[in-house]
Amino acid sequence: MSGLPILGVGAPSYPTASPLTKGAPSGDGQAFADTLKQALEDVDQSQHRADAKLAELATGQSPDLHGTMIALEEADITLRATLSVRDKMVDAYQQIMNMNI
Amino acid sequence: MSLLDTLQITASGLTSQRVRLQTIASNMANARTTRTDEGGPYQRKMPVFEAKAVDPFGSLLEQELSAPEVTAIETDKSDPLRIFDPQHPDADMDGYVLYPDINVLEEMVDLMGTARSFEANTKVVEVTRNMAHDALGIGR
Repeated sequence: MSGLPILGVGAPSYPTASPLTKGAPSGDGQAFADTLKQALEDVDQSQHRADAKLAELATGQSPDLHGTMIALEEADITLRATLSVRDKMVDAYQQIMNMNI
Repeated sequence: MSLLDTLQITASGLTSQRVRLQTIASNMANARTTRTDEGGPYQRKMPVFEAKAVDPFGSLLEQELSAPEVTAIETDKSDPLRIFDPQHPDADMDGYVLYPDINVLEEMVDLMGTARSFEANTKVVEVTRNMAHDALGIGR
């Protein structure tokens, strides 16, 4: 059994460990965070756009009835998409947390 | 081409139909108008639709897609109707009045076309929304 080296507990040399310990900026993690942030900003913008259109219509500045409805529809769809992504993420987190160790 | 861009094309179509409705309203309302700022009777107005590229710098598919836009409202150049009506204040020496050459039945047909076209475009919005909701429902 002398051919099997026993590694010390304090000296982990797993090749997969190095990219993880290098920190967040590398890999896909950062890209996903950016994408998520961008998506949330887009959703926020579409909400604001719908809000502005609705205010214009209500105050009589714009005759664009269908444009307002379409902006509201867009805001609704983007919000639903965000909620779907949120649900998926929370679901994945809970799946991991419920893992039996 | 995302589903939301589809909505923009449809919005353009709806706006075009709204302008068309406005010209029909103008034509109907002015069917007996004998005085205008330019002089003479009212002349029939017609919207001109033009296909505009949705995104000229987009992908090959996006360059092929176009949305309608009303680029001009042309005036019907046909001669006004000469109707004998000597009591009318705008009657000429012989008792004839120049009325716009507007056929209200023709305008009604155009109005129905506009309503159907608007309806069809709103249907596109509905289907787009349903498709988006269906897509979001995947894996739920």
